[in-house]
Amino acid sequence: MSRAEVASGVVQLVGGLVLAPLLPGLVQHWKARLQGRRGPTPLQPYRELRRLWGKSSVSVEGTTAVYRLAPAIVVASLIAAVALVPVAARAPGFGVGHDILALIGLLALARFAIAAASFDVANGFSLMGASRDLTLSVFVDATLVLAVAVAALVSGTTDLRGIVGATAGTHPWSSPALGLAAIAFALVVVAETGRQPIDSPDTHLELTMIHEGPLLEYAGRDLAYLHWASAMRHWLVLVLAAQVLVPHATSVWLQLGLLPVALTVLCGALALVETVNAKMRVLLVPRLLAVGSVVALLGIAARLVGMA
Amino acid sequence: MTHRDRVAEALEAGWRFGALYATEGGVVRTLLVSPAGETRLETAPVESGALPSIVDLVPAAGWDEREAHDLYGVGFDDHEPLRPLVDHDLDLARWTVPIRGRDAYQVAVGPIHAGVIESGHFRFHVVGDKILHVDARLFYKHRGLEKAAEGSKLEAGIAFARRACGACSVANSAAYALACESALGLRVVPDLARARTILLELERVWSHLNDIAAACSGTGLAAGNNRFAELTERVRRLNATLTGHRFLFGTVQVGGSDAAFDDTAVRAARAELAHLREAAASGWRELTFNSSFQDRLPDIGIVAADDVHRLGTVGPAARAAGVAEDVRTHAYDDFEAVTPTRAVGAVPARVEQRALELWQSLEILERLLDRPVVPAAADRGGVEGEIGVGRLESPRGATSCIVERVGDRVARMHLRTGSYANWPSVVHAATDDLFPDFPLINKSFELCYACVDR
Repeated sequence: MSRAEVASGVVQLVGGLVLAPLLPGLVQHWKARLQGRRGPTPLQPYRELRRLWGKSSVSVEGTTAVYRLAPAIVVASLIAAVALVPVAARAPGFGVGHDILALIGLLALARFAIAAASFDVANGFSLMGASRDLTLSVFVDATLVLAVAVAALVSGTTDLRGIVGATAGTHPWSSPALGLAAIAFALVVVAETGRQPIDSPDTHLELTMIHEGPLLEYAGRDLAYLHWASAMRHWLVLVLAAQVLVPHATSVWLQLGLLPVALTVLCGALALVETVNAKMRVLLVPRLLAVGSVVALLGIAARLVGMA
Repeated sequence: MTHRDRVAEALEAGWRFGALYATEGGVVRTLLVSPAGETRLETAPVESGALPSIVDLVPAAGWDEREAHDLYGVGFDDHEPLRPLVDHDLDLARWTVPIRGRDAYQVAVGPIHAGVIESGHFRFHVVGDKILHVDARLFYKHRGLEKAAEGSKLEAGIAFARRACGACSVANSAAYALACESALGLRVVPDLARARTILLELERVWSHLNDIAAACSGTGLAAGNNRFAELTERVRRLNATLTGHRFLFGTVQVGGSDAAFDDTAVRAARAELAHLREAAASGWRELTFNSSFQDRLPDIGIVAADDVHRLGTVGPAARAAGVAEDVRTHAYDDFEAVTPTRAVGAVPARVEQRALELWQSLEILERLLDRPVVPAAADRGGVEGEIGVGRLESPRGATSCIVERVGDRVARMHLRTGSYANWPSVVHAATDDLFPDFPLINKSFELCYACVDR
């Protein structure tokens, strides 16, 4: 294994598993500043995790293993996903490969586990959140697949290391394909991280919840796992955005070195988008995501025309 | 002619329903309001525990009759089913409207909410995300203030009206004071009217700023919420500087006013209000041009003009539907009720209505704060009576207070606030809209719970 691969593997695991909660923390912190509040420090998610970790879990009467296993399944899928998504063009394999289609499957598995748990616990708000999430996921996944397809077409592979390498530098940006995919992927980032205008991460209004709804019955360590998983989801989509869908360096060392900068900038962008946008009417969200899919399709068309 | 016939005749002649309440003395009284703002009480004795309902003539009396039944045991014939309102019956079937059909289910929200919200239980009947019907159960913190006021001196009884609600303390206590003064045959002199108008409008200014902030938070626009919340706080601080209390508690008395703002205070207040107007105007401009905020509002939570008349909607919610009724038209000089450009009674119209009334109130305050405010006393010389009615425009709509007296003591006090009048409209507005839109629809009314749970 080369030194670059070792370094990349370390960044990938430490970043994805340990530093991931910093990302939602940073967004919260900046959002507060932009909204004229002092707000919590970026370390707040760690405090939340510590608090939740110290509490006992609550087992809901009448639930089955579906409900109890969901946090474990979610965390397991997300850990596998973190192991799968490389942070640079060179990365060690952790036994899960680097295929981007497997990533989509892992995210879907996590979503399925949490939706199934909602049906198991049968809390009205959980069910509502889960049904909204499943409805939207059709559109989110379509947009994600199409955006990723552009990147795969540009690189000629679905192996993420290859994609990161092939989309590096300035050359791939000479055609509009990757730019269009980036626009579509931006919507995926907002949807997957559960942020405005699609979802409201700080909402305490049970009525409008999407991602928070299904978590309502969880407490203690179970909830800590789910929050940690949500932080890992931030890591995954933002790393993909930084290393594939925005211009990035060709050298592996530069890719690693500039990653924190890119992630910070992307968190700032998320905070800004959340601040200037009101939450969208829930039935209009599919339309927005459909626009994302169409844009990604245009990217594919642009790529195919370019190849011909 | 029966009570029911007299009410029907008055409604026919264009009078509006104002309130209905029962007394220990075994009578039910109905307050009626003429188009010119005059008030009149129709009294009916309760024979063998019941009297004919008027709810079919005026659906707005629905809550009043249910309350009279729960608290005074009065039956209302033909009000079927007479569901409990104040009495929290545990049997769901007794107090909710049955909804049957494929895939319809219920979602219970509250009475304890996430956030700083008072206690209220909402039972949503929904299909998917669509609301078929909402049953609202308030009165979780019913304090029996009306009952507690009985037997106290008229001057002291104002404390009960004032404490009904923190957000409407001036409106509620001024309505009580007006009711006592009318019963005592006291006439409000211009200086007294001016002092009270200033206090009422200050209350309206902070309340409307707060409502705009609430609309922003209902759409998740935290930046707008913070901006208007800051302005709200500035008005409350101005209240504190002027009167010693951020919510203007204790500023209204029966038969007079001890409010004294000297020249410096008045000038400082005018300057602060001018700054506020500028800041609020710039904040409002930003909201107007924030497309994500504007896209979020339209076409939901509709209470149209027809509904206003049927449900007895009052205040900004009624004017937002194009019904330009405002008690201030009869009480203030040169006052004209405003309505928004698209007065369709939807969420954006109600939000815009707050802004329009805000500019209006700031203008009134600027005009009235042109000289020091001095203590004033009401004139003797009116006609004394057993019962007095006070009616004024609170930030949430017409508030009526009826005081019955025996000598100088309160025999019965009834307070019907704008919030009380409008809660059934919130329920109506939410019907057929989306479940996740309910917080926004609710915030576009921004009604008090305490004003109801008095």
